[in-house]
Amino acid sequence: MAKSKETIEDRQLCEGVMLGKSFFEKKENRILTLFLKGFVVYLLSMGSIGFYLSAFNIEYNTVICHGVIFIMAILCACLYYRLLVENLGYLILLVAFGGLVMLFRTYINSGFYAIVNITTDKASQYFDVDIQRLYNEQIGNRYLTVSCVVIFIGIVLDIFLNVYISRRMQYVTVSFFIMGLNMIPLYLVAEPDMIYSVMLIAGMAMAYIFKSGRHYSPQVSVRRYSYVFEEKGRRHKTLSGKVKEKEIAYVYDVKAMIQAGIIGFCFVFVAIVVASAFKPKENFNAGYEGNKYKQVTMAAVSSFLIDGWSAFYRRNQDTGGMSHGRLGDVSTVYLDYETDLVVQVAPYSFDTIYLKSFTGIRYNPYDNSWTSMDIMNGYDVEQTPEADALSMAYMNGEQNTSKAKMRINNVGADARENYLPYYYYDEPISSAQGFVDVIFYPRLDGNEAWVYETDYTDCMPYTDADLYVPEENYEAVEYVVSQFDWIGTNEEVVRELVAYFQAEIPYTIRPGKTPKNEDFVNYFILENQKGYCAHYATAAVLVLRYMGIPARYVEGYAIDYNQITDGELVEGARYSDYYDGYSELGETALVEVNVTDADAHAWIEIYDFENGWIPVEVTPVGEVEEAEDFWTMFENIMGSGDTSGEEVEITQGEGFKISDELVRNICYVLLGLLGSITLVFGSVKGIKFARYFIRFNKADNSDKLIMKYASFCKKIRKRDKDFRDKINYKEQVEYLYAKKYDANKTEEENVEVTSDKVKEDTAYIICVLEKAGFSGKVISQEEYNIAIEWLKNAGA
Amino acid sequence: MENFFRIIAYVILLVINGFVFYFLHSHFHFLLLVIMIAGPVLSALLAIYLRSKIRVVVENRTVKDKYAYQNKEGYVYIKIINPTWAMSLDVKLCLAIRNPFFETEGERIISIPVYAKKGYELELPIVATLPGIIQVEVKTVKIKDLMGFMFLKKDINEVGEITVMPEKIGELDFESANLDQGMLESEESSKRGNDFSDVHEIREYIPGDKLMSIHWKLSAKRDILMVKDRVSMSDKQLVILPELCGIVPHNLEIILTTTYSIISQLIQDKTTVRLMYWSATRFEYEDIRIDYAEELDDAFAKMFYEKTYMDMNEAASHMANVHPEMRAYLHVTADGSKAVVMVKENG
Repeated sequence: MAKSKETIEDRQLCEGVMLGKSFFEKKENRILTLFLKGFVVYLLSMGSIGFYLSAFNIEYNTVICHGVIFIMAILCACLYYRLLVENLGYLILLVAFGGLVMLFRTYINSGFYAIVNITTDKASQYFDVDIQRLYNEQIGNRYLTVSCVVIFIGIVLDIFLNVYISRRMQYVTVSFFIMGLNMIPLYLVAEPDMIYSVMLIAGMAMAYIFKSGRHYSPQVSVRRYSYVFEEKGRRHKTLSGKVKEKEIAYVYDVKAMIQAGIIGFCFVFVAIVVASAFKPKENFNAGYEGNKYKQVTMAAVSSFLIDGWSAFYRRNQDTGGMSHGRLGDVSTVYLDYETDLVVQVAPYSFDTIYLKSFTGIRYNPYDNSWTSMDIMNGYDVEQTPEADALSMAYMNGEQNTSKAKMRINNVGADARENYLPYYYYDEPISSAQGFVDVIFYPRLDGNEAWVYETDYTDCMPYTDADLYVPEENYEAVEYVVSQFDWIGTNEEVVRELVAYFQAEIPYTIRPGKTPKNEDFVNYFILENQKGYCAHYATAAVLVLRYMGIPARYVEGYAIDYNQITDGELVEGARYSDYYDGYSELGETALVEVNVTDADAHAWIEIYDFENGWIPVEVTPVGEVEEAEDFWTMFENIMGSGDTSGEEVEITQGEGFKISDELVRNICYVLLGLLGSITLVFGSVKGIKFARYFIRFNKADNSDKLIMKYASFCKKIRKRDKDFRDKINYKEQVEYLYAKKYDANKTEEENVEVTSDKVKEDTAYIICVLEKAGFSGKVISQEEYNIAIEWLKNAGA
Repeated sequence: MENFFRIIAYVILLVINGFVFYFLHSHFHFLLLVIMIAGPVLSALLAIYLRSKIRVVVENRTVKDKYAYQNKEGYVYIKIINPTWAMSLDVKLCLAIRNPFFETEGERIISIPVYAKKGYELELPIVATLPGIIQVEVKTVKIKDLMGFMFLKKDINEVGEITVMPEKIGELDFESANLDQGMLESEESSKRGNDFSDVHEIREYIPGDKLMSIHWKLSAKRDILMVKDRVSMSDKQLVILPELCGIVPHNLEIILTTTYSIISQLIQDKTTVRLMYWSATRFEYEDIRIDYAEELDDAFAKMFYEKTYMDMNEAASHMANVHPEMRAYLHVTADGSKAVVMVKENG
């Protein structure tokens, strides 16, 4: 930086020659440079926000957001006007900004949640997974809330980017920073509007050019004006022993910066429009099948986008969503959405299809586990009276009976376990390809295949263990029983119980671990009062047993009707090979469904006198859950006014949009104008030249010389101010002679000789020109040639 | 070196972008890639175009005076003419600054921007602490392209110069008695109005002629300005002979400033002076008659084109042989840091 006024002194150019200090005292007002930098900051901050939002088609008030962010960018840049302004300005800005955030916190929070929800929604569409949670938007008008959050983020970016741009033009840091979040839409194959691509790249290009130019930073430490020149570098000796003085460099020059910025912006603008015309973004990925590296990352990215940051620090082992009767160890249910089972089935009912894997008979309090039916005494897993009854009914051709085949391919679930539908009769057939084919007999409405009519009537349909409630759990179970009306049929009791759970014990995927030395059921019912399917199923089994209803705990996968309808049709499969008999849906086709760990589930079975053991759903319908994160905590700190938890209606406004078409048209119009102007000027020049050419060829030597002389004078007039004052041949030729002579004056000794020769020639030329112009006579070819030669020399 | 690192950094960024494009296959990164590849090409083309069209003119536009003065600012203007729409944020002017009379030389680099269609005009305030002709030569210009990858060099070799006259010394450090002694010899012929010089010829006025040389009567008759060309009568005027010995630059400076000051004082007192100095290049005396301040400056300007020599008595040593008719002259030399002015008898 240039030294302050007091220390400015002459700088030596060579011994005995100094560069006057007035050279270093010149100053320039820096305000225009700050405006320019503010504009670059605006391009980058608005460009990056618009990039994200336009990629996801999120609407907001474009005009107001652009206006506010632009003004703030300029204001932020102007903070570098003076050191005092910078220090005070940041303070005032932060206080004002904090105040505004407090005032509009609800809108900002809602807008932020809206953007996150839309992102999650897009991600779930892209990854083809279900959304497990959404943020609760307190204000439903997304157009308004997103506009608020755009302004909020825009101001934050303005302040942040201004530090990097105004002082050091750190385009690399800025690029990585603003492109970080913008990789999300690009990953999800969502492209931004062209205007924001232009803004973002143009901003980066301008910052790059300024940085490369190295002259962009006025001193802030001086008052109002910055010095134009300063000394840079070090005075040093070169290898040849010569002393190399410091370089004298201009500090910054706003005019040059504006010109460079315009070149950068125009280049980016035109390049983007032209490149987009050749390769439009609409069909850019047509025929592209993706690359394997992206495929590798998709699972992690999908977890991140659906689950948030927590996806990065979960540590629990992936068991395909099953706990096999171990309870209370899971604090939060994390899902990887990877396929565990691939199931082929012909849809036959609106009901959920359960694939059973684990049946728990005895609950072990404080050990927090279920003992599996497989290892319990007195249970014969081979006995399937329900399947027997259903198969017999089907074979007898009774009403509403059917036989179905299901193909199950275990691709990611625990391989030690079987996952089989209810009421299979024969042993499943395993294939060499790894899948199993299971024949089963669905129980449909109106089916009258009663278990008491089967051959198993002599054996106990259930044991004492199916009614056992540990004493340790009495208090909790009695508490639940006291809370709802339990008089009625088994079905009615179960319905009441589920209604109670729904009303009193909210569903969550984050119940937290059961504390050490606490019982799972007691803690769930009496203390924590929130949980997921395993909590409800365990508690429900004990409650129902307490009320005399035989019940069991079951784990497996639950495939709901919507999943089945979303499944892919299996080409070439015959319906009759997979289903025969009555179907609630009529004749359908074989579909293939991907069952993920999100479909892993726990439910219960209760014993019904007619139907035998039937699956019963006791988990209340889980609401899309609100996540607890920084912003929720922020909201809590701020004391959000709306805690009612009421659902709000989400509305999406239609804002003014700078479409790609508009940007493209603007560019085409500008290019067209440029082309037209070039064409018009070119044509005019071309016509003039053609006319001149024709006239010249038709003219005699005198006219040719006059024409040549006229065009010669025109050229000279353009570059020589003094020549314009010469009004006739004589003056003009003499002037050119004098100039030529002056130029040669300091040369060698033959100057005099040369000048005499030129002098003679000059007099001759004047004569020739006068003859050609005024005498009416035609000059000879020789005269013409000499004159032209002289003109060439004089014009050089 | 800076350019090299910038290119390396750019290539790294380009590779990163290429990788991201391969990974995401996004249209945005495709556009970025196009711009990152086309940008340097455009930048280089603009710089090459600018280099081919750029011109440099060095001027010394003195507003009031024809010459600059020692220890005062004189101005050299370097005009970069750019007729194109291309521009550069960093053009380095490699300047050579020299004073041939004192045989000093230095180099400096000045970095300036060059505007589209205009160029740039750089005003250099030159302060010379030694008199002489200060030459400012723009040897080359180095044009940096917009993306900062290269400097394109163009040889210019445009020279501009300003002539710096010595500073007048207020109190002359020589024996006035000596001067008086020297004056006595030529007193009669040294007063203005008693001009004993002969009219050599009468000719037409040419710009630069002194007004007092104009033959007003004849001019009125012929309706065109005529002047009298005079030849001076050397033996009738005050002769001052400085030694242009450059062995110690400081001594030479003292000789020049002293000579200049003495002549200034004399012509202020309306005394005609003959300035004689030994031309080491032509091996003869240069003899200039001085009546006015302008003539004094012109004489010094001419003298600054001479070469200095190493012997402090070089000029005086030839006087008896070359000008035996000369009876006495004022000899200006230096001893240590002081000027020595004395009337010297010829022969």
